[in-house]
Amino acid sequence: MLVQVPGGWNPILGRLAIDQIPYTNPILAPLFVAVVIGAILVFGLITYYHKWGYLWKEWLTTVDHKKLGVMYIILGLVMLFRGFIDGLMIRTQQVWANGPQSSGVFGAVHGYLTPFHFGQVYSAHGLIMILLAATPLLVGFMNIIVPIQIGARDMAYPYLNALGLWITAAAVALIMISLFVGDFAHNGWFGYAPIFELQYSPGVGVDYWIWTLELTALGTTLGGINLIATIVKMRAPGMTWFRLPIFTWASLSANIIALTSFPALQVALFLVACDRYFGAHFFTAGFGGNLMLYTNLFWLWGHPEVYFVILPAFGMMSEIFPVFSEKPLFGYITMVAASFAIAGVSWLVWLHHFFTMGAGPDVNSAFSVATMLVGIPTGVKVFNWAFTMYRGRITYTAAMLWAIGALFLLLIGGLTGMMLAIPAINYMVHNSVFVIAHFHSMLLVIVYAIFGAVIFWFPKVFGFKLDEFWAKTMFWLFSAGTALVFVPMYMLGFMGQTRRLDYVFNTAWHPYLVTEEIGIAVYCLSVAAFFVLLYVSTRDRVKNRVAQDAWGTSRSLEWLAHSPLPFYNFAVTPHINARDELAWRRHNGISEAQPTKYVDIHMPNNTGVAVYIGALTFVLGFALTWRVWWLSLLSLLAIIVLMIVRSWRGDPGYIVTAAELEKMEREAMQRQQQVEGYLPHPGGHAVPGGAMAYESHDVSPLGTPPSSGDQH
Amino acid sequence: MSHGHDNPILHPEVQMASTRGYFTGFLVSLILMTGATAMVSSHAFPPFGLLLVITVCAAIAIVAQIYFLLHIDISEHNIWNTVSLVLFIPLFIITIGLTWWMFSQLYLRTMPIMPGMH
Amino acid sequence: MSAHDSPDPSKAVLWDTHYHGHDVISTRSFGYFLYLLSDGMLFATLFAAYGVLSYSHSYFNGPTPADFVHPWYTFTQTVALFLSVLAYGMGMSAVKKGNKAGLMNGLIAAFVLGVVFLGLDIHDMMDLAAHGITVQTSGGTSAFIVLTQVHAAHIFFGLIWILVMMTQVMSKGFTTDTVGRLLSLRMFWHLQAIIWVFVFVFVYLWGYMS
Repeated sequence: MLVQVPGGWNPILGRLAIDQIPYTNPILAPLFVAVVIGAILVFGLITYYHKWGYLWKEWLTTVDHKKLGVMYIILGLVMLFRGFIDGLMIRTQQVWANGPQSSGVFGAVHGYLTPFHFGQVYSAHGLIMILLAATPLLVGFMNIIVPIQIGARDMAYPYLNALGLWITAAAVALIMISLFVGDFAHNGWFGYAPIFELQYSPGVGVDYWIWTLELTALGTTLGGINLIATIVKMRAPGMTWFRLPIFTWASLSANIIALTSFPALQVALFLVACDRYFGAHFFTAGFGGNLMLYTNLFWLWGHPEVYFVILPAFGMMSEIFPVFSEKPLFGYITMVAASFAIAGVSWLVWLHHFFTMGAGPDVNSAFSVATMLVGIPTGVKVFNWAFTMYRGRITYTAAMLWAIGALFLLLIGGLTGMMLAIPAINYMVHNSVFVIAHFHSMLLVIVYAIFGAVIFWFPKVFGFKLDEFWAKTMFWLFSAGTALVFVPMYMLGFMGQTRRLDYVFNTAWHPYLVTEEIGIAVYCLSVAAFFVLLYVSTRDRVKNRVAQDAWGTSRSLEWLAHSPLPFYNFAVTPHINARDELAWRRHNGISEAQPTKYVDIHMPNNTGVAVYIGALTFVLGFALTWRVWWLSLLSLLAIIVLMIVRSWRGDPGYIVTAAELEKMEREAMQRQQQVEGYLPHPGGHAVPGGAMAYESHDVSPLGTPPSSGDQH
Repeated sequence: MSHGHDNPILHPEVQMASTRGYFTGFLVSLILMTGATAMVSSHAFPPFGLLLVITVCAAIAIVAQIYFLLHIDISEHNIWNTVSLVLFIPLFIITIGLTWWMFSQLYLRTMPIMPGMH
Repeated sequence: MSAHDSPDPSKAVLWDTHYHGHDVISTRSFGYFLYLLSDGMLFATLFAAYGVLSYSHSYFNGPTPADFVHPWYTFTQTVALFLSVLAYGMGMSAVKKGNKAGLMNGLIAAFVLGVVFLGLDIHDMMDLAAHGITVQTSGGTSAFIVLTQVHAAHIFFGLIWILVMMTQVMSKGFTTDTVGRLLSLRMFWHLQAIIWVFVFVFVYLWGYMS
């Protein structure tokens, strides 16, 4: 039943053998040494400072949505860095391996990467950036912010939340270990049939790719269920649907997409696995298989996934603009409607990833029109943001700069997307770097929004602000890098440079490739600025400490909780009276009102089970990759047993008594009152009447400039 | 919302179990499946008509099961299940329908003339 | 939703001291229902793949379901599964009255009938394999076998779950946890019957007649 694999296989170790470790590779071997030294150093430091217990009790076994969110974000940032290094390698190879005269080192004829190695770097870059960087970062933010925005004490299923994180971490571990044991897929991040079939890709790379994707899909599906249930079932009293903060709406629409689309990915890859492990003929070129079926199933997930990552980013922007424009969000209802319109249309457009399949004019036209429809709700959003800023009292903080940058990129990416939606143009630029430049513009919208959100919500989670100067420096460097890399890339796309070139034949493109390389160097500086930002901000944390309302003009419920967030979020569940609850309370002078009476609260216990199951899913993925059948079965069995054991034990939770709560609350209040410049109002006073929404009587009449602070 | 907080058996989702409903769902779908099997195994109609008839049988059986077994209705404690199901159904149709459509068009253009799908 | 709807700030309730949070059972069963819907999506995708791979050229001149499907044999599977689902439903009606023995009878009957279903399915697959029909035969048989066996795998895990619930109810009785899980399992088991209607009609019967 199982297919014979080429090369050695034995029942104990499967395909594992010592020659699968690329110790002769001049790039990977030094990297491996560096990683080992780094790991020894980290482990040594943790042991030296006796932090293992702290790490285990406070972080690894936690079910607290904020800590899980922080770990998601750290995971995402680490993978963003790894993906960036891959991007750097790709760009360097292309500028080096340009023209027949170019030199070659490390066994490559041109450049420094062999075609097979280049293909792996290329595939890993895409997979990591979309699924293991953007997705965990966004899931992390949704995890932290959504429960507080709706006044909940935790997610609906805290344990499931931890499980989602650790399964995602297992996926990350799997793709990282593919660097040093075996190799990775060379078939592009989304895979092409039939090149990923066993006969064309006999190595383990494709198997790593399959199981990494499967684990991510599983983790994200669990997260999606959790978030939807949280938003539907756990809103605080008074938090009606049309009082939900806009980021929560965005998260809801995004997670509906995740929940509905990830099964398609799981099936697509499961069928690839059937082909590779059982010799099925889903995607083979002969025997009645269909190559394009894979592409169809993949993009059936792939396109909704694109909106799964962009919608929370839109939500972040929608939170940032009003706060730094000191105005309510323009067009709240249309914003919500637009999110759901995008989510709905996202299900009708996936064929535009393969217009050139040749399904005929009827099919291509239908999908082309559906694709262009996306422009309408997105346009609504862009105008809403613009009108939010219009006549607002804008402060150009770092978070605001990132949000505005995202808005500009969205325009560029969106308009080029409209071009690609036209099949006639699509046939011309299909598979060129024009497409790459387009979707990098879109994905950078997400990166910009994420950095904006990091700066925006950092004080809420950690209690101090990030350094404005370095955050802005990073922004400008990053924007310069973006322009330098992607403007030439659009041009090269028009000139006909195709994707995934490990050797660029046309020397006339050299100036453009050099410009891109300079751009990536500027990106490196921006990464350095980020590290400086973290260092400087942590060093000056006492100076930058904030109270509940870190920005002084914040609007939604999360800013009513203490900064840093206590583990119980709100000591007493807030009662919601208005859409922008904090703005409403501040406007009425009651934002300082604290609860007068505390009652016992019930919290879930920490559990190590999620970590164990995560580790076991890693073992399962690794064993399946290397076809170690006994280990696969054993780890699957262990997972099932652990789940049953956990369900037997259940979780009684524990009680935080009213007296303890009161004491912690008093301390938190005292800490916050020591903050220098308690409750700052950067742009003068809040816009009068701005608490509720956007109706005309809420804002000053047109023609009268808002009462000016110290702006002019 | 928190009725039945102390005694889980009094929870409305437990209380909505109904012997009569389960029997009805069982009988309806069993009769329909028997009919469909009998018609198919005896080739009672030409293929296209047969396909229509068994599709109708399946549709009625599904609706009966969703109503009687999954308790999908608009009562207070089921409304969110109903809403999410209603949101999902178009996606099931899109997934299957658009895929079949695009590939039938593709096969028209790429495969040698073969007796149609069915 | 205008500013006029917002309450008078001097009288507004700001903190809800006596809010007891969510209803544990219904939150859990809603989340589980969402999971089941995504499971339904999984089957929808498999059906989409089956549709694309059930053209006559998909069988590569090999056997097609018209050659190897036996409608009345599969009909016995249908009866077994429907009866199993009915038995589980009876069990849940017993829970409604707090009748533990009634639930156990229902669960045991559901388990036995589920095993019958699975046994018939495995026998069918062994029979196909004996005639040389496996996933390796053609794209069409791959789609046929994988789709039906993914359903069978769901039944298999459902059976394990029924066993676990039997032991949990025996030792713990009706607690919020066990009753919540019984509700989730009910939805899971009933959904398998619904999916089976699709599989039976559109894979077995339709495959047989074309």
